Amino acid sequence: MDNFSEVLTLFLSVDNFLAIAAGVLIGVVVGAIPGLTATMAVALALPFTFSMEPVTAILLLVGIYKGGMYGGSITAILIRTPGSPASACTLLDGYPMAQQGHAKKALKTALYSSVVADLISNIALIFFAAYLAKIALNFGPPEYFWLICFSLTIIVSVSGNSAIKGLIAAGLGIIISTIGLDAVYGTQRLTFDNYNLMDRVSFIPLLIGLFAIPEVIDFYTSKVAPHIRTAVSGASLTWKEFKGSLKTVIRGSVIGVIIGAIPGTGATSAAFISYSEAKRTSPRKANFGKGEVEGVAAAEAGNNGVAGATLIPLLSLGIPGDVITAIILGAFMIHGLTPGPVLFQENLPLVYALFCGILVSSFVLVFVGNAAIRYFSLIADIPKTILLPIVLMFCIYGAYAVNNSTFDIGLMLAFGILGFVFNRTGVAAAPFLIGFILGPMFEDNLRRTLLISKGDPTIFFRGPIAWVFITLTVASLVFAFRRYWVSRKEQQAEA
Amino acid sequence: MMSSKIGFRLKRSALCVVTAVSMACGGVAQADEWPDDNIRLVVPYSAGGTTDLLSRKVADLLQRELTTVVVENRPGAGSTVATGQLARGGRGSDHMLLMASPGHTIGASLYPNLRYDPVADFAFIRNVINIPNVMVVPGNSPYNTVAEFVEAARAKQLSFSSPGIGSSVHMSGELFKNLTQTQLIHVPFRGSGEALPALLAGDVDVAFENMPTVYPHIQSGKLKALAVTTPQESEFLPDVPSMQQAGAGYGLENYETSAWFGLIAHKSFPEAGLEKLESALAKIMSGEDFQNFLPQFGAVAGEEVGDDFRTMVDNEVAKWSEVAEQANLKR
Repeated sequence: MDNFSEVLTLFLSVDNFLAIAAGVLIGVVVGAIPGLTATMAVALALPFTFSMEPVTAILLLVGIYKGGMYGGSITAILIRTPGSPASACTLLDGYPMAQQGHAKKALKTALYSSVVADLISNIALIFFAAYLAKIALNFGPPEYFWLICFSLTIIVSVSGNSAIKGLIAAGLGIIISTIGLDAVYGTQRLTFDNYNLMDRVSFIPLLIGLFAIPEVIDFYTSKVAPHIRTAVSGASLTWKEFKGSLKTVIRGSVIGVIIGAIPGTGATSAAFISYSEAKRTSPRKANFGKGEVEGVAAAEAGNNGVAGATLIPLLSLGIPGDVITAIILGAFMIHGLTPGPVLFQENLPLVYALFCGILVSSFVLVFVGNAAIRYFSLIADIPKTILLPIVLMFCIYGAYAVNNSTFDIGLMLAFGILGFVFNRTGVAAAPFLIGFILGPMFEDNLRRTLLISKGDPTIFFRGPIAWVFITLTVASLVFAFRRYWVSRKEQQAEA
Repeated sequence: MMSSKIGFRLKRSALCVVTAVSMACGGVAQADEWPDDNIRLVVPYSAGGTTDLLSRKVADLLQRELTTVVVENRPGAGSTVATGQLARGGRGSDHMLLMASPGHTIGASLYPNLRYDPVADFAFIRNVINIPNVMVVPGNSPYNTVAEFVEAARAKQLSFSSPGIGSSVHMSGELFKNLTQTQLIHVPFRGSGEALPALLAGDVDVAFENMPTVYPHIQSGKLKALAVTTPQESEFLPDVPSMQQAGAGYGLENYETSAWFGLIAHKSFPEAGLEKLESALAKIMSGEDFQNFLPQFGAVAGEEVGDDFRTMVDNEVAKWSEVAEQANLKR
């Protein structure tokens, strides 16, 4: 009872509620601006939290994190420019929806999927943290290796019409990802002695270039009507429509939670896995990539499911799963707190006060998100002749801002041209992106596993987690080939 | 005609002299008034890392003493992109500082064709913070002392993890390997967040991690600390010997590594600026705020000022260059 009242005293303060609201708002706005990521916002907000109460400080940072995760989807849907890496998957269906005049529906789908996923993720954090943390600890390099293998099979489902073109794009993505210093020996790979390439190709310039720039080039090279209203005033999301996607949202959230609880895998992978699963099981799979509500729901559920779950290894083990949680770990330390089992023993009321705040943040996201939709969606009504130069300016600024590097602007433009070529040749950009993200993880974990076992390959089959992912990989490949075979037969029959 | 030409030349020379003198005076005036602009503190790593976190705290304290300090993150190629830009100097370099760390000295060995000299091209202001590394093994590891570990590593191949190639954690391991004549296998991860679970689960045998990363796990018993890498024991782990003590007789008598964080500037940084920064740093570092901040990172205040700091960096460059060469890292 004493603990309970202490939790309430710690949690029920005006400061906490203000911190959550401010955090989510900052996160949504920053997340929506290409190149400004939630990571940056959290890092910049950190010094302001030095003087706050620990609970208030951490809730502010968590608020930014969660808001940023949703905010990224706004510009992905409206102008095909993912505000954050994790929302790259959202644009696959979100942007086509906007083009068809359903921007509002897409934005609302993204918002409510995010909120539901966030809530499920928070509940997992509160009730299953200890259990999930145990799984995370059993996830060594061999288990990662199989998880990445399974994730790579999703290339097939995001390849658009041609699996071959998808594989080519993925291969190209993997090649680009090898640029930089070799992780084990420090050898230079494809850097041509250029310093800017030694830390690998930066992700944000690649992302912005690949998706946003082709739209700009397309507009100026093709003679389309200069004023296309994407009509945000169009129909909103109905409960019936959302109910139809609810199963997908819940599945995506669970995928997000599992991926989030394992350090180092990330929200982008979760979004793509969730999307691929939704497409596989959906009765409307042919509509995926052309503006399917379920596609937006799956992607957003996947990446927001990660947000609460990354706090699981942080709070229960003291291990940050990504850069943002690493900064939050710093915030804990500055306030003299040490995340991990000791935190639960010594500061239990504080942990529960944090949980209360994190739960509240999901609901705050509904209000802030709705307000953001109202104002941001005005973007969609701006004539393209005015909007696209502004988008281009933001792209350049965004590419520069990540590393304060002008080289990255050139990189972004180069990937813009590549994206344009992809568009014109019917190659999907998503497999390229997946290859770029997962390629290094595949290589790193393969090499790590063999280093740990001193070259003995039996380590790849060392335990139940490995076998689960081996089975999933094989099943996913069999399913993909079967579908490919059936569709070819159908095509031949039609011919 | 001639005289008018001479007159013109004289006038021009006089103008040049006046301009030069006024510029020089301007320079003196500027130096006296330093800082007459905002100070830029460049962090050569991404926002959110340890260097960034410490830099923001130092910037916050420094601006209470001097003027507004703007923190700028400029990551790339270890820390060599930002450091190279500082070395080139140019406009604004008289108000630009950089938070250097082991990456400054290790990067000089690891990255080829550096266009700067990590010692000669900079002014060294002060080493601000030192964080020891700790040699840790999993809680259920059979090794309880450095001696036991070295004996085992000589008999069979063991592995050590690091958050990435060229990090102080990695190089601490390479140095250990060299001095003890063992064949430890380096297993690199991307960041401590990935490296730590592998150590906790026993997938790797040892790590030479930064104190704040492993401290909670040592406390909870999930990791065992065998030694700290500084010459003295750490007040945070009073029962853990230093590597020099624990590894005596195994080649580790001179073993010393730590993650240090210090301020450097362009070599032609105004003298008045150096003096003002030194005294401002001395003041904030003895202040309560800074002293309370240190324990949260298991850190101690850095001691080396000016030339002492330069000598320290010079020695580090030599040490890591040798280690990198022996580990076959120099490309």
